Amino acid sequence: MLSFQIKISRFKPGIIDPPAFFSYELTPDADWTVLDALEQIRIYQEPSLMYRRSCHHASCGTCACTINGVERLACKTKLTDLGTQAITLEPLRCVERIGDLVTVRNTLFQFMQPDWSYLQPDEKREAHDLLLSGDGQAITKFESCIECGCCVSACPVARKNRRFLGPAVLSAINQEMKKNPSTENDLHAVAASPEGETLCQRAVACSRVCPSGVYPAKHIAELRNRRKRAGNKS
Amino acid sequence: MEKIVVIGGGIGGAIAHDLALRGFSVVVLEKGELCCGSTGRHHGLLHSGARYALHDVATAAECMTENRILRAIAPQAVEQNDGLFVALDDADMVHYRQFIINCEDAGIPCRELITVDARSMEPELSPTIKAAVQVPDATMDAWRLAMHFFASARANGADIRPFSEVVGLLANNGAITGVEVRDHRRHATYVEKADMVVNATGPWAGKIAALLDIHLPMKPSPGVMVSMQPRLTGMVINRLHPAGEGDIVVPQRNQSILGTSAWIADDPDAVRTPADHVRQMVDLCAQMLPQLAQLPVVAAWSASRPLLVSATEEDPTKISRASQVIDHALADGVEGLLSVVGGKATTMRAMAQKVVDRVCAIAGREIPCATGHTVLKHYRRFFRR
Repeated sequence: MLSFQIKISRFKPGIIDPPAFFSYELTPDADWTVLDALEQIRIYQEPSLMYRRSCHHASCGTCACTINGVERLACKTKLTDLGTQAITLEPLRCVERIGDLVTVRNTLFQFMQPDWSYLQPDEKREAHDLLLSGDGQAITKFESCIECGCCVSACPVARKNRRFLGPAVLSAINQEMKKNPSTENDLHAVAASPEGETLCQRAVACSRVCPSGVYPAKHIAELRNRRKRAGNKS
Repeated sequence: MEKIVVIGGGIGGAIAHDLALRGFSVVVLEKGELCCGSTGRHHGLLHSGARYALHDVATAAECMTENRILRAIAPQAVEQNDGLFVALDDADMVHYRQFIINCEDAGIPCRELITVDARSMEPELSPTIKAAVQVPDATMDAWRLAMHFFASARANGADIRPFSEVVGLLANNGAITGVEVRDHRRHATYVEKADMVVNATGPWAGKIAALLDIHLPMKPSPGVMVSMQPRLTGMVINRLHPAGEGDIVVPQRNQSILGTSAWIADDPDAVRTPADHVRQMVDLCAQMLPQLAQLPVVAAWSASRPLLVSATEEDPTKISRASQVIDHALADGVEGLLSVVGGKATTMRAMAQKVVDRVCAIAGREIPCATGHTVLKHYRRFFRR
């Protein structure tokens, strides 16, 4: 197996400050992911290396970072799929850094309301008689969005304007309006605010990097059509 | 009130939540990101307990109790999808009656289905299944469920510190006085004083206990899981047979999570994901859902269970998943140090209750546990300041 050069942008307040690149070399197994590489570097070479990880299967969204310039989840990006043995890892953009690849998650969540549901009825399944919740119930499933922040980091508008609600929040608003129509007027006002959907420049970078198939640009287009329809009515 | 340091940012969240509700001062120390160990990495099954019905009815009953509680206190972390147990051959059918009887003994509601109905509910099931039983399994979001506990603990005053690795346990005259902590963000080591310390590091618990030369009767037991796309079923699909490998598919979002194997390891950090286990998981699970054999793998990984070492049972699939709280005052002559081992994510609230009941007993306080009926804060609150 070939040797890989992993270059990591590191930062520790007051210690590695300003941030600097450090290089690590390793010889991975054929099926290793970027997250496997980070684990090996931390365990055997650099115990103070900071990065996030939890589920290891693209479900928690914690390990999102910039891999050779593109926002991806480290846990499902195979080293051998990157087409090069020189890998550069940097944190997500548009967010404050805590240390190394770890960024502040508050930014996404200051707009993402706690009461927006992340369960939705599974439209593919017919109603079931679920054992604890009654007859003829729709099976529910989790929203596809795993709130990893890749779309915000990739968005050219969000990179310049921290007040932009951003693709993940706008997608969540669109989904919440569909699930819970009584919220429509309030949420519509948020989405149509000066920090909302009007700032989107249709770069579609969000949909290109989304690791979870949410296609935020599609949700933003739906919000825009909704605003146009509302405008026509008035 | 006493100050309790909890080591481990997995089930440590549930312990911190219980401690904070009962009024203790709490610090949680986690060497990496929260939930970076076993608690965040499992297949995402909220057990009904039916998987343990044939060999461990007590654990099965505890799972069902906790299943009901978690649905009530963290409804947003659980899909409402139920599960099926399917028998694939005559050897499986031998266990069918006992399975139903034991589920009833454990208080697990189950519904015997005719196979035609089961296949109309889940068309991807193998056409050759012999029998199917519906149980109240569910899919949970491992990260978000655990983060509900952390959000609630923090809201009640717990001090939660990720990237803070415990590198020493400090004791004086046979009593714990605190811990030595490596702050990975500031590259500094400091002392955190404590009246009591709870070692809740799961498969790493042996390493923490070893800091005071204490031997814990625990071994990491890793298992391999495989994630494939797309999601094939609405419900969780289990094989109806005695505990084994490659016998569960948990649907989650647009994925199907296949599990799992089991072996015994020495070092939880050095665990790999053997390629032959990945192939075996796909082959075995495809007996229940044939389409799996054609699907692409999204990710394969392993997670370690913190298994109590058993004197009588060597097969890691059969060792009890019951949890145990070890008071090192009695076992090793160190006062103020507790370790919790065994257990599983579904029972983390109950494990926390056992730990904190013990903390209260040591502190001489009688404060009832309230976590069974306290609705948790939404996990997003953890990140809002």
